[in-house]
Amino acid sequence: MKIGIPRALLYYYYYPFWKVLFERLGCEVIVSDETNSKIISEGSKVSVSEICVPIKIFNGHVLNLEKKNPDYIFVPQFHKVDKEWYCPKFLGIPELVQYSIDNLHTPLLVLDYQTKTDMIDSLSVHLPLCEKLNVTKKQLKEALKAGRESQLAFRVLCRQGYTIPEAYDLLLHGSKPPVHEKKEIKIALMGYVNNVYDNFVSMNTIKKLEEMGSNIVTFDMLDEKLIQKDKNAIKEPFWIFARKIYNATRYLVQTGQIDGMIHLTAFGCGPDSVIGKLMEIDCENAGIPFMTVRVDEHTGDNHITTRLEAFTDMIKIRKRKGVKA
Amino acid sequence: MKVSFPYMGQVVAYKKLLESFGHEIIMPDKPTQRTFDLGVLNSPEFICYPFKVMMGTYIEACEKGADVIVSSGGSGPCRAGMYCEVHRRVLQKLGYQTEVIIFDSPFKNPKRFLKQILSLKNKTPIFKVLKSVRYALKMIAMLDKIDAEINILRAHEVKKGSFDKCKEDIIELFDKTSSLKTLKAAYREALKMLNSVPVNPVNEKERLRFGIVGEIFVIMESATNMEIEKRLNALGVEVSNVQSISEWVKHNTIGRLFKKSESWKAFDEGSAYKRCACGGHDKENTGWIMEFAKRGFDGVIHLMPFGCLPELITRSMIPQMTADLDIPILSMSIDEQNAEANTQTRIEAFVDLCKSKKQTGVNAQITADKSIKTAVHEKTGV
Repeated sequence: MKIGIPRALLYYYYYPFWKVLFERLGCEVIVSDETNSKIISEGSKVSVSEICVPIKIFNGHVLNLEKKNPDYIFVPQFHKVDKEWYCPKFLGIPELVQYSIDNLHTPLLVLDYQTKTDMIDSLSVHLPLCEKLNVTKKQLKEALKAGRESQLAFRVLCRQGYTIPEAYDLLLHGSKPPVHEKKEIKIALMGYVNNVYDNFVSMNTIKKLEEMGSNIVTFDMLDEKLIQKDKNAIKEPFWIFARKIYNATRYLVQTGQIDGMIHLTAFGCGPDSVIGKLMEIDCENAGIPFMTVRVDEHTGDNHITTRLEAFTDMIKIRKRKGVKA
Repeated sequence: MKVSFPYMGQVVAYKKLLESFGHEIIMPDKPTQRTFDLGVLNSPEFICYPFKVMMGTYIEACEKGADVIVSSGGSGPCRAGMYCEVHRRVLQKLGYQTEVIIFDSPFKNPKRFLKQILSLKNKTPIFKVLKSVRYALKMIAMLDKIDAEINILRAHEVKKGSFDKCKEDIIELFDKTSSLKTLKAAYREALKMLNSVPVNPVNEKERLRFGIVGEIFVIMESATNMEIEKRLNALGVEVSNVQSISEWVKHNTIGRLFKKSESWKAFDEGSAYKRCACGGHDKENTGWIMEFAKRGFDGVIHLMPFGCLPELITRSMIPQMTADLDIPILSMSIDEQNAEANTQTRIEAFVDLCKSKKQTGVNAQITADKSIKTAVHEKTGV
């Protein structure tokens, strides 16, 4: 049986888990192509025009997968982690796919992820797989265990400072680990995994920043414990990934280990419109340079390059002059 | 303490309630262009429109010297639950000392909830607090009923503006009451006043009935939605709005197991299209559209703020729903860029379409479907 996983949204966080899970269950896993302009334009065509670009991309990847003839297209419906939510569009993703794309021939494989922690290996969530893939509960349990181990190994690599694509290469393809030299400045690149690591959307922001002489740090490189829910806070963002990013911002600002921060966000992103302002105020109060880069389906990476160059130059000058944050 | 609150729903009742605790009330004005401008200027660019309108109202209240602003909270996944945190920070940044008190669900943090109640009740004895709350809720329920009535009758008024005048008089009458007894008398009087407004006789075959569904703030706050109810009434359309404060209170306080409120019924009905509720009132709205189709309404207007997270999911289902249920649906986004002429033209076109569908009895499903898709595209120019 062939399972198609769209290379979008939380593919950039849970792929090691899903890949091992489905392969242990005797399936072949196929992933859609890397995002390109055709995928985006096809996705935009079928989606509601007002919706954010990651959802348009998701629809584009579903359409792309369909050409590869899988038996199922995997559409994870991310719902809740303990008392925290995912963005409403993650909750409604099966509907967004189903009602936006006419004549979808491949059946959707929808799993409703409501888990206790952000390790998503809960048995009850995956039980529908037993029937759909014709496996026993015992096999499923074993596969989940293997998936969990793979996910944990992946997270260890992230914490060592590898970006998520590098970690995937290391873990799943056994490639040689890249070397990250210490550069002149360190910039925090804050944004959801599906924006930061999708090279088409982010227009290779990470690579560009590194070439401009900057180390980068993202929220996924930090230890979970540092950015976990703060019980004493009056009100924290109730979306799990928004909370991770916001707390990572607070942690990085408080410890003073960064020289600047870039918030990479998609046009029309709801959670980011809230935490973006909070992050901006926090950085301003701490005297740390902050820049918002907003991306959408329109491309043209020259303006990104210009803005990043200006930003890194400004930080370098500041650092050489010895301006304290 | 000088207390203020956002302008939404039956504001006179909130005023009465807070007054009974011995506070001075800074009455928020109905949002004007200045309110919108102030809000837009001081809000994050991509946040939804209700936030911006509320931001403007808060700043105006601060200018008038409010010490405390009271509002309701939320726990996600809709953005409205995070409003207070950003509002608070922006007001702080602007240099106002005003405190924003948010009432979240009492079950989430009972200690803080209790503390907030204590600070707000201002040494009023507890039985008096309960009495005042009961009185305010009753007033809200009555005014909501009157509003619902007006939204239907106004479509057939003889003299233009007579119902609006009547509503103003009714509000004045209610503002003068001080106890449950006088309130009930005022209600009887108000109903008499309503009945005495002359209306044109109407042929049952020519009655056009529309439902309004969508995000709670934009469908309830008439300055924000450019008085859509009044506009539709002026075109001779009777309007039912699914949201009101009394319905919201019922929805949030009475458990669905004991006595199902209308919106909980709609919520359950929505399961036919949605796997789960995605925040806000998206599932209720789906259910309401189905309910309106069942009741034989002639059209549904779906309003949402630009970029509203849960309602975008509803919108993506609308082409399918309009085809399944054979009911025309017009979905419009509302934000600071809205222009009156644009709204008026779209509404007029939609009313004409529904009218001809009703008169000819033609299955207008395909036309309606198309009109939505073009309408959506027209806004963004895609």
